[in-house]
Amino acid sequence: MSSEDSNPAATPTPGVDTQGDGRWMSLHNHFVSNSKDKEPDVLFVGDSLVQLLYQFEVWQDLFSPLHALNFGVGGDATQHVLWRLSNGELGHISPKVVVLWVGTNNHGHTAEQICGGIMAIVQLIKDKLPKAYTLVLGVLPRGKMPNPLRERNAQVNKLVQEAVSSLPHASLLNVDPGFVHSDGSISHQDLYDYLHLTPQGYQAVCQPLHAHLKGLLEKQAEN
Amino acid sequence: MQNIGAVQHPCARKYSGYIDKNYPSSEAFRMSGDEMNPAAVAQAVEDIQGDDRWMSQHTRFVQECKDAEPEVLFIGDSMVQLMQQYEIWRELFSPLHALNFGIGGDTTCNVLWRLQNGELDNIGPKVTVVWVGTNNHEHSAEQVAGGILAIAQLLTSRLPKTKVVVLGLLARGEWPNPLREKNVAVNSFLRSWLPRLGHTQFLDVGAGFVHSDETISTRDMFDFLHLTAAGYRAISKPLIDLLLQILEGTPEEKRASLV
Repeated sequence: MSSEDSNPAATPTPGVDTQGDGRWMSLHNHFVSNSKDKEPDVLFVGDSLVQLLYQFEVWQDLFSPLHALNFGVGGDATQHVLWRLSNGELGHISPKVVVLWVGTNNHGHTAEQICGGIMAIVQLIKDKLPKAYTLVLGVLPRGKMPNPLRERNAQVNKLVQEAVSSLPHASLLNVDPGFVHSDGSISHQDLYDYLHLTPQGYQAVCQPLHAHLKGLLEKQAEN
Repeated sequence: MQNIGAVQHPCARKYSGYIDKNYPSSEAFRMSGDEMNPAAVAQAVEDIQGDDRWMSQHTRFVQECKDAEPEVLFIGDSMVQLMQQYEIWRELFSPLHALNFGIGGDTTCNVLWRLQNGELDNIGPKVTVVWVGTNNHEHSAEQVAGGILAIAQLLTSRLPKTKVVVLGLLARGEWPNPLREKNVAVNSFLRSWLPRLGHTQFLDVGAGFVHSDETISTRDMFDFLHLTAAGYRAISKPLIDLLLQILEGTPEEKRASLV
């Protein structure tokens, strides 16, 4: 019996259409058909932090030139990303690097469970794309002032860092440039609702990410 | 104290059941025997996730009321909130001295609560733009329209000098679905109710989003709900035209001021 059975964060689960307009499945289907005629070198997959990145100029400036695809879905937790990647979104592409950014929406799950969910995704990518490198981005702090979710997210990052440290095909990159100020507060100039990034926030996150990605792609090219 | 200045359409009375704790006798809004419209009941968002973000945003908006003198106030849900993150806000709306009090996920109930609890204090905008209703999943189209009407009534009574612009709800979902029909119905109620309220008008900014094959494109709504930069550009044209018209006054007012 695999441990995934007892970890809801690591059990592939499709999004449920609670609202009545089928948007989650529409997006998934779009990503599957998108993958049929594109040849991305980089695939970004995750939640709204990935999805929103595509809407701002920073994507055009930094990531389009790297031939990147964006499979972000707002609200997704690890189990949703796991389902999407298991059901066609990796079907027709072989990116050199997969950037995975997910975990902040895993409400009700412990840090250990969320780490388990992230690692299940890392394993799935390894199974489906044996040559790809997975770059896991650290989950950002959230909320205006210190709160339990910040602690949970920090713990997730710590656990994932430990879990990937022995893997040659994955690593964790901390992309928090220092959003938490000395008084413990986060500014709405960086996270406009204390969760989602402003264009300014994305700039601060993406410059080092872009540099790191370029390095990875160059290394992959050498292999 | 009666709600001075607001004209009440009989249907609005039934559906707008809004209670403002500052104006106790607005119980008059609720006709005896009628049930309260749940979409017109002020309600704060509960912190279920654990980081209290809704209240943090509300508190910030209340503070902004103390510091700013906006000519235009935008209030609503993520459709309002996200607008501020795109270039178009800086280009078109910042120059009008606009404040953005949008919070993602908000229903009419949440907006009502925020407006009653400080987000209208110390400000006197010439125009208030209201865009909310697409998240009212528990309510019928009539109830949602009643909730929006209650917001418009609150604004015209608390800010006697403001003109209220209510934006129509956009279509959503990639394909035809019940929420599209519901939003169309909400708009239909608003079109007939709002003109009877003084100083309030309805603006439909949804033209062109649903293509001839009945789909919505991710080029306009990246998740079939939220607008892309291109989507916001499309809605901003009619909106900015109307705002400028209101802010610059009617030709008659202009002539009068020249005398």
